[in-house]
Formats: sequence, structure tokens, C-alpha cells
Amino acid sequence: MSRLGIFVDRKTLSSAEQLNALIRCRDAAEEMGHGAEFIFPVDIRKIPQVDGLFIRARTDPMNITYVASRMAAFAGIPVIDDPDSIQVCSDKVHMYARLMREGVEVPRTLFLSFRDLTPARAREVFDELGSPLVVKEPSTSFSLRVEKVEAPGELLQVARRYFKLSDWVVVQEYVESTYDWRVGVLRGRFLYACKYIIPSQTFKIQDSVNGHVVYCGVESVPPQMVPPAVIDLGIRAGRAIGNGLYGVDIKEGPAGPCVIEVNDNPSLEGGEDTAYPHVYREIVHTLLEV
Amino acid sequence: MPDGQLLLEPPAPGEAITRLSGPARRHALRAKSGPVLSRGSIHSVERDGVVHLVSENYSYKSEAYYAILMQETQGRRVEPGTKAILDAFVVPVCLERARMDGIPVADYAISQSCIPAPAVIYGLNYFACTSHFEVLCDDESARELVRHVTNNGKYPFCSQRLEAGARIERAVSIFGNVSSTDPAMAGMAAGVWDSFCIPLVEIICIDGPCGLRLSSLCPVRYSRLTPAERDLLSAYLSGQVFL
Repeated sequence: MSRLGIFVDRKTLSSAEQLNALIRCRDAAEEMGHGAEFIFPVDIRKIPQVDGLFIRARTDPMNITYVASRMAAFAGIPVIDDPDSIQVCSDKVHMYARLMREGVEVPRTLFLSFRDLTPARAREVFDELGSPLVVKEPSTSFSLRVEKVEAPGELLQVARRYFKLSDWVVVQEYVESTYDWRVGVLRGRFLYACKYIIPSQTFKIQDSVNGHVVYCGVESVPPQMVPPAVIDLGIRAGRAIGNGLYGVDIKEGPAGPCVIEVNDNPSLEGGEDTAYPHVYREIVHTLLEV
Repeated sequence: MPDGQLLLEPPAPGEAITRLSGPARRHALRAKSGPVLSRGSIHSVERDGVVHLVSENYSYKSEAYYAILMQETQGRRVEPGTKAILDAFVVPVCLERARMDGIPVADYAISQSCIPAPAVIYGLNYFACTSHFEVLCDDESARELVRHVTNNGKYPFCSQRLEAGARIERAVSIFGNVSSTDPAMAGMAAGVWDSFCIPLVEIICIDGPCGLRLSSLCPVRYSRLTPAERDLLSAYLSGQVFL
């Protein structure tokens, strides 16, 4: 019997859906004959005592999840998400640079430094990428700090706001779609797939519309109903990042599927795995039995 | 779908340099001219195929961080690496890495509620910077300071106990050299340089009954350098001193 540590913070525990997902994870570990325990930020010194660590809190290199992940790595303990994956996926500049280097299809993308962004450069960006464009602050998650702009002045305005948080921003061509594919990849292999149905009032999977938060719909899709090109692209994107657990968001654009982003610590509490009942068993197996 | 495009503008490397020795150090301290250390400027020197990038701000998502990242993405050897930067400026990770590399480090704990004074505390959150630590001198003020560092208990913090008579010592390390004549601090700077390879960094230590122990590393503004430190750094950047 091995011991699985599930790293959580108070925010993880504040959501009923997350709690249910955590209990399913713990149950999966126990059904497989392993022990499972929750580890909180103040318990970080317990990490060397577990045999595998599964992080279920918002990851970022600047928060406690990176500490937990790095401590596990220092102790030679398998961890999802590993520190490298957190580093790459938490920073969209890093993530797109990696995907581009590995030849993974992404929308046309530019990185703009606060030093370079002048009105003339903003016009050039529109000439290069067309209109509209999507501007992203590199640490964005859940579609926060992602905006669509249609003119150079708007680009300057949004980018200047984001430059308060990052010296570089990401600018991408806009790919229109009514849904995103989410392909789950574990250790370079297909794990699950679902569709995120984008609310009609926005282009993001989560947005604030007239003061109300609107969320995407989640539709778990069996493997035989997922286009092979989408699965293939998801796997290639996951492998480009590393050997962990990833949720790859893919849009089917006019020129074929392209990766919108690769998420470490992908959500599993929204019904993403309904058609894949063994997702947690696979994760536990990877952490404790491989 | 067309591939994306990387905009790569790493700073041009300076002249090759090698390890500092005693006479070279004295020479460096005499150097009166060199690259302009203006606010936000990024400099680089190259030695044996490794680019050493010098900045007053290596923080996550800074210009320097991305300059290094782009070099790493292109497969070039660059120091410090982005991973070393992240490790260096997240206190518990910094201490664990340093400890594994044989550097004496402060005992630490991660907490979310009040802790007994005296202690040094560092915030662990997206907005925390290692240069903004708090020293808890007494239990009365501790409560308020902990509340401040944790944003009313929202985020955890890293605490390091201060033993009786312990003091906070600080020194600026330039390519692993400090202006301090204290051999313990000089050894600390050399160890930190070997472990993290950060050319310009401030070393915060706790000096107590167990000797000098690393508390944290933090960035250094060029404007805070003493004239001797500026001269030493300039000498490195202009190739007058050797790594």
C-alpha cells in the first residue's frame, strides 16, 4: 500500500464540486488499495512522507502550490503538477514559446514587450495578424485578463493595463468558435475529452456579462466521437510541455485545429470525465504504481 | 494554421570574462568607467559559451526573466536560468535548494496564523517580494504584521524564528563576491553563486548562535549599490575582471 497526498488549499475546499471531485479521487486511491490524505499549505513538511503528490489548487510559480511541487521534486516524489509543468503552463509566453518551438499548431502569436509597444508597432501587429486580435496577460486563467481588441488604440489601452502585471503580453489572431475541445493528456497519452460550450454572450469560457458571471457548458465526449486530429494535436501539445497531466484546449479553425492553451492542473470537477470513469484511477496509478 | 512567431531580442553579450582573483578584485574596485547601470537596464557577459545576464530585476514575468526564457527556448546556455530565478525568490524553495547544496539555512515553517515573536516572516503569494519581509519583535505587533503579510489570513507565509541575540545581516553579491570583509558572508555569497548563479542579488541572513544562516535572496536595484559595488559590477560587465 502506498500513500497519496492530495494538496489542497482553502479555495479548493470552498467549492462543493471540487469537494466531490476530491472525494472521488480519494475513493479511487482507496479502491486501489492505497491510502490518501489531504495536505494543506501548513503541512508542507509532510510531503516527503507520501509516495505521490496530486496538487488540486490553482497553480502558479509564485504561490504555495509551486512550493509543494518543488518540495516533492526535491524529495524525489512523483508529483502532478510537477514544477516544470507549473512553470511552463502558468505563463502563456513560456507555454506558446514551447509549443511553437515543438511545431504544435497555435494561432499566429506575437509577444510584445512594454518597451516595444508604440502606436506604430500596434498598427504593425494588426497588419501582421489581422483583426480582431486577442490580448492575454501571461498569467491569465479561467479567461481572466483575456480581451478581444479591434483597433490599435484598443490594443495599446489593454496592453498598458496588463503591463502592470507583466513586462510582456501575448497577442494572437482571433479564432472564432462556439466551443473548445478539452483533451486530457496524462504522461503523453490520451486520457479524456470534452467540449466547453462557449456562452453566446462572450468569446470566453467564463466571463462577466452585465455584472453576472457566465460559465461555459461542459459536455464529456466519448473517444470515438472526438475527431482523431483533435486527439492527435492534444497529445502532441501535452508532450511538448512535459510528462504530466494536462488539459489541452483546442479550437477547430478554418485552417484546421489549433491549440488555444495547455493547462496544468486541469479542472475535473465540472463533468469533464463523465464518459471516462477511470480518470482518477489512471492518475493514482501514474503517481503510485509506475 | 500558421505557426506563431517569436520576437527575440536578447541583449548583446559583452566581452568574455573569467573567475575573479584578489588582484583583479582590487583592479575592479579602481575601475571608474563601464556600462551605464541605468534603471531597468539589462546587461550580459559571455564566458565559455555561457551568457551571464545581469539585471536589477529578475522577478517572474520581468523583462530580464523573458530575455532569459527566450535564450533558453533557443537552446542557448544562459545563467541564471529561469528555474533558478523562481527557486531563488520563493523563500522556502530557496532555502531547501540552498540546504541541499550545503549552504547553512534558517529553520523555517509555513504558517497561516499568528506565530510567536521574535521571527522573520515572508509572504507566500503572487504579490509577495522577498525584499519585503517583516521582523516580528513582540507578540503584540506580530498579530497586525501577520495580518498584513497574509492579506487577512488569505495567504500562507514563511516564518523563521530569531533566537536570542540574533541579527539580520544583508550583503550584495556581485558574481559571488561581497564587499563585506566577514569571511562567513563571503563564503555564503560564494555558495549562493554556485547554487543559483545569479550575478546580482542581495543575500539576507540571520546571524545568531549557530552562525550565519541564509534567510532569503532578493533583487537589488542599481541605485542601491555603493560606489565600490557599482565599480565592481561595471568592471565585470566591461570585462576588466574575470569570472
